[in-house]
Amino acid sequence: MRTAAELKYGEKGIINGIDGSHPSSRRILEFGFTPGQEIQLINMSLFNDPLAFSVRGTIVAIRKDEAVCIKIL
Amino acid sequence: MITKTIETEPLITLVGPPNSGKTTLFNFLSGKNYKTVNYPGATVEYSISKIQKKYNLEGRILDSPGIVSLIPNSPDERISINSLYSHPTFGVPDLIIVTIDASQLSRHLLLAKQLIESKFNVIVALTMTDILNRRGKDISISKLREELNCDVVKIDGRTGIGVEDLIKEIEKNLNAVKEKEKVNIIRLKDSLPIEKLIDFYKEIEKIEHNVIADLGEDQNFASIKNANKKLNVLNNKIQNHNNTLDNTTVKIDRILLHKVWGLVLFFLIMSLTFTSIFWLAQPLMELVDDLFGYLSSEALILIGNNWMGNFLANGIIGGTGAVLVFLPQIIILFLILGLLEDTGYLARGAMLIDKPLSKIGLNGRSFVPMLSGFACAIPAIMATRTIPNKRERLLTIFIIPLLSCSARLPVYALLLAFLFPMDKSWLAGLALAGIYLFSIISSAVVAGIANKFRGTIIKEEDNSSFILELPTYRIPKLQVVATNTYHSSMSYIKRAGTVILFLSIIIWFLTYFPDSNPKVNTYNLTQEKAEQLISSERISNSYAADLGKFIQPIMKPIGMDWRVGVSLIPTFAAREVFVSSLALIFKVTGDKGTLQTSILREMRQATIAGTGKKLFTTATIIGLIIYFIFALQCISTLAISRKETGSWRLPMLQLFLFTIGAYFFTFIVVNGLRLIGIN
Repeated sequence: MRTAAELKYGEKGIINGIDGSHPSSRRILEFGFTPGQEIQLINMSLFNDPLAFSVRGTIVAIRKDEAVCIKIL
Repeated sequence: MITKTIETEPLITLVGPPNSGKTTLFNFLSGKNYKTVNYPGATVEYSISKIQKKYNLEGRILDSPGIVSLIPNSPDERISINSLYSHPTFGVPDLIIVTIDASQLSRHLLLAKQLIESKFNVIVALTMTDILNRRGKDISISKLREELNCDVVKIDGRTGIGVEDLIKEIEKNLNAVKEKEKVNIIRLKDSLPIEKLIDFYKEIEKIEHNVIADLGEDQNFASIKNANKKLNVLNNKIQNHNNTLDNTTVKIDRILLHKVWGLVLFFLIMSLTFTSIFWLAQPLMELVDDLFGYLSSEALILIGNNWMGNFLANGIIGGTGAVLVFLPQIIILFLILGLLEDTGYLARGAMLIDKPLSKIGLNGRSFVPMLSGFACAIPAIMATRTIPNKRERLLTIFIIPLLSCSARLPVYALLLAFLFPMDKSWLAGLALAGIYLFSIISSAVVAGIANKFRGTIIKEEDNSSFILELPTYRIPKLQVVATNTYHSSMSYIKRAGTVILFLSIIIWFLTYFPDSNPKVNTYNLTQEKAEQLISSERISNSYAADLGKFIQPIMKPIGMDWRVGVSLIPTFAAREVFVSSLALIFKVTGDKGTLQTSILREMRQATIAGTGKKLFTTATIIGLIIYFIFALQCISTLAISRKETGSWRLPMLQLFLFTIGAYFFTFIVVNGLRLIGIN
């Protein structure tokens, strides 16, 4: 399954699940990345990391190695 | 836990996610007249105040640090959340006001839901409904009240409309609390399974769906939606109706987070910030300097040139001046950073720089504190509180003293003026830029090394993380920023100021006593010059001179003598004092304007006693510059580092590693240069 870290610039995806074993999973959920939500990779920083996703009408920047815990349909 | 009955003043705690308008509301309620306090034994700060008199309501209002959830994610958050459940001095809050950004409803409701779940008495203060309206949406207050089963008040952060309504609700709720039976507060478990969080969000989505509708839609929009649902015509657009991004923000980000232009603009904005800290503050700093110089000389005239006059003039007034001279810089720094933060840009800056910084064990959030370090290490170390990861925070604090603070500027200026002829001052400017670049590179290298040796310098381990909301761009609220700047600056004066003043007095003592009455030939000298000569003689016979002579063996290998040693001692109170102590030691007499040229002349003539060799050469001057780049010779920095890290371990490591390192590098540079023929 793909993760949010593999989304292409501008690509949208629906969250399928969050990998609960990742230490950042709870915080990512708290920022609103819940299953069923549509997210979009709207910006990338220098060296393509961190990534900026739109979620629930806001933009959240997340490091690549943390974005891998967001599974995409 | 039991909710206390209201006997004296009720406690109302403000809670809210970052960027939810919490501080603005606090300013309205407190009338900007508040105290900033630390939680006992911790570095986490909160603000407390009484409700403004004009509202005619007794109550203490507490502004807690911004949180996203009631489950802590960092040591600092744990302290804030523990204190929210039960404050160490005030106990359980009688009432909680949670600020919710209406344009971020589904995300911000999480905290409100958790607070209600914990059985707190909650009022929701709904902010930024104007942004929601601009997106063509509206929110139904009555429906939200119904869904959450708590009071909801709309607040306009710009005009303050709604604060009166909030006060009425507070009063009503406080009265109700008095009547009500004591309720047990249920603490959310830290190990709350993530499924529970997902459930919270499912409920929130339902609420959101029921309370938000397109503007212009019928008042009974919910029923229409229900009808739609039944008819199965619910399309995606309606389902995600609150999930539209702010268009302007997306457009601005396309430039500010652009691969090339974003980076160019980032460096431009940062250099502008950086240079304005210096250029804007310069005339004000000179003003403070002149004012205290004047006061000091007036005090000497008033009391006379005895120990008491000197104590007042050079110890107390001089020491106070040493504290206040940095105030313009600190105010400008806080003001600019506050404005940048309020526009929403600082979060972007942190994102842009996170990757390179993470390579050396730091975090995107280390960036602002590091930038502040170029002005003064004290506010910089205080600013590291925004770094949630303990390890990264300690590492940031560790390297901040290596960033050349502004107190080193006068020293560099003097030393560079020695190296480069007057008519080629542009060379000195270039060299100064080189010094700053060198200080950035060396701090990065030190961070990298400290990061490699895990468990030696920084023992703490923590899950490194960078999850940061990039808020909607907006015009900064100058008034809020100004109020925060005022409080941060006062906090600097109280914290660092007392330490600096105390140390200045000790150093004054060392350079004045034993109060010898030196006989000098004052023939043909003006009163002023004669007094300068007496001061010079006095410092040559002072305890500081004894100390300087004592450390002579240490100064010798780096090509210097006790006179440089004596000048270095007072730099522990304030680095820039190096210049004036050199002037004293070398018995420089001259008017203020020509002080630098006079010092330079004396420096060029000075020889090491007994050898006839020149004391200040190209090699020793470069050596001194290297020493000032690395050495931690600022007791205030140590004091604040102790306070912020909670132990003496890190400040002591900083003191010994950086100062011994500075000495070592100076030794290598001076002797290395001599080896290749540069004296």
